[in-house]
Amino acid sequence: MDPAIPAILRAVFGYLFLVLTVRVVGRRLGKQLTPFEFILIFYLGGLTLTGMVGIEASMVNAITQILTIALCHRGLSALRVRSSTAMKLLDGVPLILMETRGWRTDTLRRMMVQDDDVMNVAREQGIQDLSGIRIAVLEAFGQINVVPCAPQQQRQNP
Amino acid sequence: MDTILRAVMGYFILLLVVRVLRRRAGSQMTLFEFVLIFLMGGVIILATVGPDRSVTNCTCAVIAVAALHRFVAWAKMRSARVGTIIDGTPLVIVRHCEWQTDVLRAMGIREEDIAAAARAHGITSLQDIDYAVLERNGRITVVRKARPMS
Amino acid sequence: MSHNASLKPVGDSVPKIDNELAVGEDLDFQRRWWRFEKVVWGAFLVIIICDLVGLFGRGWLARAEVSTPDKAFSVEYEWIERANTSSTMTLRFGTAAIRDGKVDVYVSDSVVQDLGAEQIMPQPLMSVVGQGGNVYRFPANGGTASVRIKLQPVTPGIHVFRVQSAGCVPVTARVYVLP
Repeated sequence: MDPAIPAILRAVFGYLFLVLTVRVVGRRLGKQLTPFEFILIFYLGGLTLTGMVGIEASMVNAITQILTIALCHRGLSALRVRSSTAMKLLDGVPLILMETRGWRTDTLRRMMVQDDDVMNVAREQGIQDLSGIRIAVLEAFGQINVVPCAPQQQRQNP
Repeated sequence: MDTILRAVMGYFILLLVVRVLRRRAGSQMTLFEFVLIFLMGGVIILATVGPDRSVTNCTCAVIAVAALHRFVAWAKMRSARVGTIIDGTPLVIVRHCEWQTDVLRAMGIREEDIAAAARAHGITSLQDIDYAVLERNGRITVVRKARPMS
Repeated sequence: MSHNASLKPVGDSVPKIDNELAVGEDLDFQRRWWRFEKVVWGAFLVIIICDLVGLFGRGWLARAEVSTPDKAFSVEYEWIERANTSSTMTLRFGTAAIRDGKVDVYVSDSVVQDLGAEQIMPQPLMSVVGQGGNVYRFPANGGTASVRIKLQPVTPGIHVFRVQSAGCVPVTARVYVLP
């Protein structure tokens, strides 16, 4: 096969495999990336690109491989808009961590979230303690969103 | 000399590609997006320096890219037009309960994305949204409807 | 003495919508930008297809062959190449080109220098420099024979090369090297 074709196929494979790998690694909590996660970005990205580029050392190849990745990303993004199933597969779904009736312990355990993490986010919004939270959600991208109770409502434990 | 030319070319190509790629709406940069960006930058690196991996060559490339970036920042400051071209413009996606469907469709935003952004602002119901704006960096900011005085 | 030169009163420098929310939206620009994006994505797709077909080298379209009118000697090469990327030029000799058990072939300097010849397979028995190139001699048996030259061009540009087998008409061709 002419070498231009495998170069593009390697780019497609590299991109799709990265999507799968990062998705499987799982969502991570919090807003800031830790220093190790920055290293991981280099590591994953660098390994992928080394295999993708191979011995091709020309600008033409770099451009075509980057455009291939861009086209794949765009395609996946268009798929995500049109299909709910695709969105759930690619991004994941938001998960409720705490609601009026209490903590969702199963979710907490599987996603390895601790009540401290939820309180951390709540504190940033000026909520003083857990009873001031109406609902806490772990979003698909890993961010925890906390919705405070209205001033009159406070949590009543059943 | 050609390293510098390739560095300049690489800079603008990356700028164009990142600019036309749709950010996944409403969130901070995810791990995947960081990896993707590093991937694209990395591929260009190998082509920019070519077979010459010397310190001299790479330093020249670094200086070329840094100078170019500084120049672009200056150009953005001098001209609002350049700023809009390079960074984009904020876009209103919900306006007094009217969803701007053409903007939503063109930017690939789903209802779920707006709901998630609303939750970040403490809003649980889509009816409570007064304005939602897609910012230039891809985040969605939501403004709550003023509560009627009771 | 206060420096009023660096102070500017806060006004309405960020445009509002509905006279309410200061957003600074430029929807006209955005619509034009969406049209531009459509063009750009189309261009990306075209570029990838051209690349797959070989228009940027390393592909089917880039392969070419030039030969003498009597087909005694021909050169297979890539007329579009990429910088720093290796390719092979194949010289094919028909029976008419082989005399006295050997083949003499003249290869212009541009092949060695501009196109970056790295290796000649098999190794020539003897090489004579001069006349703007090299003449290589290979012992040959009869029947058809081929010699391969591994090329790795460094500088982008248009390069012309000339190859001639002893006793045949020279063949000339142009190679475009992309960055």
